[in-house]
Amino acid sequence: MKAIIATTVFGVIMMFAGLWVNDKKSIAGLATFLFAALLGVTIWDLTTTSVNSPKSLFNDMLRSEHYSLWFNTIMTGCSLLYVLLMGKEVQKVGKYVSEYFALIFFILCGLYLLSMYNNLLMMFIGIEILSIPQYILAGSDKRNLKSSEASLKYFLMGAFSTGILLMGITLLYGAARTFNITEMVTLMHSDALNPLALAGILFIMIAFSFKVSAAPMHMWTPDVYDGSPTVFTAFMATVVKSAAFFAFLRLFQVSFNSLSEHWVMVLAIITAATLLVGNVTAVFQQSVKRMLAYSSIAQAGFMLFAVLAVNAVAWQGIIIYAVAYSVATIGIFAVLVKLKDYTYDGFNGLAQREPLLAFVTTIFLFSLAGIPLTGGFMAKYYVLLAVVQQGQLMWLVIFALLMAAISVYYYFRVIIAMYFKAGTPEISSPVTGGDKFMLVVTCALVILLGVLPQLFLTKV
Amino acid sequence: MANLVYLVPLFPLIGFLINGIFWKRMPKTLGGVIGCVAILASFIISLGIFFEVKSASFQGPLVVKLFDFIQSGNLNIHFDFQVDALSSLFLLIITGIGFLIHVYSTSYMGHDEGMVKYFAYLNLFVFSMLLLVLGANYLIMFIGWEGVGLCSYLLIGFWFKNRDYTNAAKKAFVMNRIGDLGFLVGMLLILFNYGTLAYQDVFAKLPAAHTETSSMYNWIALCLFIGAMGKSAQIPLYTWLPDAMAGPTPVSALIHAATMVTAGIYMIARSHALYDLAPMALDLVAVIGLATALLAATIALYQNDIKKVLAYSTVSQLGFMFLALGVGAYTTGVFHVMTHAFFKALLFLGAGSVIHAMGGEQDIKNMGGLRKKLPITYITFLIGVLAIAGFPFTSGFVSKDEILLAVYEHNKVFFYLAAFAAVLTAIYMFRLLMLVFMGGFRGTHDQEHHLHESPAAITIPLIILAIFSLVGGFVQIPHLFGGHDYLNQFLGKAGVPAVIHEGPGLEMKEWTLFGATCVGLLVIFLATKKLFAVSQFDGNYSGFKKVLANKWYVDELYDTIIVKPIGALSGILDKFAEKAGIDGLVNGVGKTVRWGGDRMRLLQTGQVGFYIFIMVLGMVALFTLGFFWIK
Amino acid sequence: MDVLMLSAEQNTPFNYFPIALQLVIAVGFVVVMMLVSHLLGPKRKTEDKLINFESGIPSVGNARQPMGIKYFLVAILFVLFDVEVIFFYPYAVNFKYLGKEGFLEVVLFVAFFLCGFIYIVKRGALEWED
Repeated sequence: MKAIIATTVFGVIMMFAGLWVNDKKSIAGLATFLFAALLGVTIWDLTTTSVNSPKSLFNDMLRSEHYSLWFNTIMTGCSLLYVLLMGKEVQKVGKYVSEYFALIFFILCGLYLLSMYNNLLMMFIGIEILSIPQYILAGSDKRNLKSSEASLKYFLMGAFSTGILLMGITLLYGAARTFNITEMVTLMHSDALNPLALAGILFIMIAFSFKVSAAPMHMWTPDVYDGSPTVFTAFMATVVKSAAFFAFLRLFQVSFNSLSEHWVMVLAIITAATLLVGNVTAVFQQSVKRMLAYSSIAQAGFMLFAVLAVNAVAWQGIIIYAVAYSVATIGIFAVLVKLKDYTYDGFNGLAQREPLLAFVTTIFLFSLAGIPLTGGFMAKYYVLLAVVQQGQLMWLVIFALLMAAISVYYYFRVIIAMYFKAGTPEISSPVTGGDKFMLVVTCALVILLGVLPQLFLTKV
Repeated sequence: MANLVYLVPLFPLIGFLINGIFWKRMPKTLGGVIGCVAILASFIISLGIFFEVKSASFQGPLVVKLFDFIQSGNLNIHFDFQVDALSSLFLLIITGIGFLIHVYSTSYMGHDEGMVKYFAYLNLFVFSMLLLVLGANYLIMFIGWEGVGLCSYLLIGFWFKNRDYTNAAKKAFVMNRIGDLGFLVGMLLILFNYGTLAYQDVFAKLPAAHTETSSMYNWIALCLFIGAMGKSAQIPLYTWLPDAMAGPTPVSALIHAATMVTAGIYMIARSHALYDLAPMALDLVAVIGLATALLAATIALYQNDIKKVLAYSTVSQLGFMFLALGVGAYTTGVFHVMTHAFFKALLFLGAGSVIHAMGGEQDIKNMGGLRKKLPITYITFLIGVLAIAGFPFTSGFVSKDEILLAVYEHNKVFFYLAAFAAVLTAIYMFRLLMLVFMGGFRGTHDQEHHLHESPAAITIPLIILAIFSLVGGFVQIPHLFGGHDYLNQFLGKAGVPAVIHEGPGLEMKEWTLFGATCVGLLVIFLATKKLFAVSQFDGNYSGFKKVLANKWYVDELYDTIIVKPIGALSGILDKFAEKAGIDGLVNGVGKTVRWGGDRMRLLQTGQVGFYIFIMVLGMVALFTLGFFWIK
Repeated sequence: MDVLMLSAEQNTPFNYFPIALQLVIAVGFVVVMMLVSHLLGPKRKTEDKLINFESGIPSVGNARQPMGIKYFLVAILFVLFDVEVIFFYPYAVNFKYLGKEGFLEVVLFVAFFLCGFIYIVKRGALEWED
C-alpha cells in the first residue's frame, strides 16, 4: 500500500519538477533517485508483510499477498534498471522529460494495483492507469508521424478492448452478483456453468489477450512497438506486459481455477496461435526493432503457459519469466538505442567496433532464445514445467518447443550480423563507461537468473 | 575444521581463476607459485580435516550444507559436501600428491610458453576432483566427474599443435562420454526409484544387505559401473588411457595415474551399500577388473615407450582395484588406490625426469645405463619398481597381498589368474628398469652429452614419494607382522565394510603368500634379465611378441568393427537419408516457415479498421469454440 | 415449441434462442420495410435534392477543416473538472454518514485535482494567445 501512495506522490513530484527545473540532466537524476526510493518502499512493504497472512486493504478492494509484493519489488527493480540504462535516452525523446518520468511512475501505480487487486473494479482501474500513460508515451515523439500513428492506433484499439473488458466484468457480475474475486469462486458452480459467466470469462480473457498481445488480438503490437520511441517501447514491452500477465494469472488462478475445464481449451488455442504468429512472422522482419516486437508476441505465448497451468508452479513461472524476459529485453533495447540503423545490417561488424556491446547483446539474445545457463532457459523451463505438472496439453508443450527452435533462427541472425559480417555500425550516441558498467550488470543478472533462479523465487 | 571444508576446493578454484584470466600477461614464476600455494593451502586444510575425522570424537559422516542447487517440484538437490573417512582420505591423496606434482611441474614445464595456462588447467583439475570426492550427492559427483574429464581433455591436448595429441585428447573425451552416459542413466534410475540423489538419503532407503533382491539394484550398479569403466579405463573402454600419455608427464602422473582414473573406484566404494545388493554387478566388476589386469599386463610386456609401459601398468593396477571391489573388499580397493597413488606418481615423475634428461626422448630403445648419470632418479625409480612389483614390506606388497588374500577367499581361479597378473607386473617393471637404467647407453652421442640429473624441484618430490612408497603400506600391515588394520578401522567409520581376515588357516595363507612373493620376485628378476637380454635389445619383435607389442590389435579391432562400419553407414546415410531425406525435410520446414512468415507479414496492413475486424473475427471464433465445441 | 419449453428448465445457451429469434425478426422487419419502400417508391433525382442541406442557405466550402487544438484542450479539461463536480453529488447526499473521515478523503481528492489544475495553469494550457 505504501508503494501505491509513494509512486503517486512521486509522479506528482515529477510533474511539478518539470515546471521549475529546466535542466534535463537534473530531472533525470531526480527521477533515478525517486525510482531508487520507490524500490526501497516496495522492499519496506515486502518486509513488513508476513508470508502467510495477506493483508486486506480498503474494504477488501486490494489484498497484499506476499507474492504480489515480491512481484512489485522485482518489477520496481526492473524499472530502476531501465532508468539507469536508458535515463540518458529518455532525455532525447522530446521536451517534456519530467512528464515522461511522471507517466512511468503512474504506470507503476497501475502495476501495483494489478498485482494486488481483489475486486474487478480495482482490476479495471489498474488496467486503465497502466494503459493511458502508455498511449501518451507512444506518441511522445511529436514530430515523428509514425509515433503519432502508433499512439492513435494504440488508443483506438485499447479503447475497444476496454469496452470488451467492461462487457466481461458486467456479465460476470450478472452471474456471480459480486465484484470480489475471492467471493466469486463460491458463487459459480462448475458443474452447470452459467452461460453468462462463461461469456464473461471469455470476454475478459480476450481483453487480457489484447493487453498481453496474444493472437488474434495482437495486431496492434508491431505497429505500436515499432512506431513508439525506442526507449518507451522497451518499457512497454517488458514491465507493463509483465504486469498485465500477472493480473491475467491472478484473476484466472484465484477466481476461475475450478472452472478451468471450460476455458482452458480456448486459451490453449490462443496460446498456440500466439506462438505461431509471433515466431513465424518474426522470421521475415528486416528491422531488429520490429523483430523484437514480434518476439515479444512470441514470448507472450510462453508466458500464457503460466496462465494455462493453474497451479503453484505457475506463480514461480510467471515471476521468473517476467524478470528474465524484462531484464534481457531492456538490455537489448539499451543496445539498440545506441545504434542509428535498426535493421539487421545496422548490426554488421558491431563485434569489431564495440566488442562489449556485441557480447552482452549475444547473452541477452541467448536468454531470449532460451539457451541454458541464461535466465530465459530457466523461465521457459518453469512455465513449461507448470503445464507438464498439470498433466494435459502435452501437444502444446511440444509445439512450444518447436517454436522455440524457430526463434533461435531470428535471434541468432543478429549474432551472425554482429560477429560474422563486415561493416561499420553507426553509433548514435557515445557508449560511456557508465553505460558499459550497467550493461555488464544487466548481463550478470541474466546469467545469475540462469544459474540460481531460486534467488528470485525464495519469497514465492 | 570440517566445517571449513568448502575452502578445500575454493583455493584451487581461486588459483584457476587468477591463472586462467591473466595467463597471457602473468610471469611464469608467479603463475607457478599461485598454482602451488593454492594446492598447499588445500592440503593443509585437508590434513586438519583428516585428523578431525580420525579423532574419536568425530561422529559419523558430516554433511556441510552450502546452498540449494536445484529445486523444482519434488526434486530438491542441495550443494552439499560430505566429510567422512572416505572423502577425507581422498582429499589427502589428491591435495598431497597434487601439491608434489605442482612443485615438480614448476621445473618440468618451466620452459613452456603456456606454463601459466597449464597451471590454470591443473588447478581446475584439482578443483573438479575435490568436488567429485566431496559432493554429498551423485549430481555434484557428476559435476566433478565431467570437470575432471574436461581438464583431462584440455591437458592431454595441451600441446595442441601436434595433430596426434589432439586426436588422443578427442579419443579420451569420446571414450569418457560413453562411460558418462552410463553414469547418467544410473543417476536417473536412482532419481526415479528413490526421488533423491543424496548418498545418505539413497542408502537409507536401501534395505539391509541380502534381505531383498531386485534386478533394479543390478541395473543401477551396472550403469554406474559403465561410468567407472570409462573414467577408470577398464575393458572395453581402456584404450584412451595409453593414448592420454600425449599430455605433459606430470599430468600423466597426477590425472592418469594417481587421481582421476581412481574416480571409478571411489564411486563404487562410495556406493558400496548399493553394490552389496547387486551380486551380479559385483561379479561383473570382479571379472572385468581381472580381465583388464591381465590384458594390460601382457601388453605392457612389450611396449617401447617408457610412458606407455607405465600407462598399461596403470590400467592393470586399476584392474586389481576393481577386482578387490568386486570381491567385496572395498577398503582393500581404496587402500590400493592410496599405495598406487604413491608409487605410480613416483614412477611417472621418475619417467618424466628421465625424459627431461633425454631431451624429450621417450623410446626406451635409445636409453640404457642411465643409473650413473641420474642417480637420484634411479634410486627412487628402483623403489617405485620394487613397490609396484610387491617387494615385501613396501606399500605395494601390503596392498596387493591383501587383494590376493581377499580374492583367494572368494574364488580360487580368480586368485591364480590375479597372481599371474601380479607376476607379469613384476616382469614388465623389471624389464623397464633394466632397459632404462642398466647396461650401456643406446642413444645418440648428443643425447649422451646432454644427460644430467634433474633440479631439486624435480628430485625432492621424487624423494618424498619414494619414502611414502616404502612406508605407506604400514598403516595396514598384516597382523602376522605385528600390524593393525588402521585403515580398515578408519574407513569403517565411513561405513565402508572391510573383509575381515580371520580363521585358522589365515596365518598359513599369509606365510605362503609372503614366501611365494620373496622367492617369486627373485626368480622373476633373474629371468627377466635373461628374457630381455638388455645388451641385445633393439625394440623389434616378431611372432606373438609382436601381437603383444601391438596391444593385441585392440585399437585396430575397434577401428574395424566400430569405427569403419559407422563411417560406412554414415557415408550411406549422408548420401541418401541426409541429402535427400533430412536435408529436404529441414530445408522444407525452413522454407515453409519463411513462406508462412512472408504471407503472415502481409496481414499487418497498418489499417486499424482491419485490425479490429481480425480481432472481432477471432472473438467470434473463440466464442464459438468456447460455447459449442469444447464440450 | 416443445423443445423450447423443455430446455427452458435448464440453464443452457439454448435458452437464449427466443431472444435470438426476436432479434432476427426485428432486424428482418426493418430490412424488409426499407427494401420494400425503396423498390416501390417513386424516384426523382435532381441536383438540388442531392446537395447538403445547410439551414436553407447555400453551403460554403468543406466541413472538415482543421481547427485550433486549443478548442479540444479546453473542452477536454472542462469535461475533466465537470466530472469532478459530479462526484460531489453522492458525497453531499451522504455527508453526515461519512463524517470526518469522509471529509478528509474528499479533501484529498480535491487536493489532487487542485494539483492537476495548478499544473495545467502553470504549463500554460489555458493561455489562449500563443
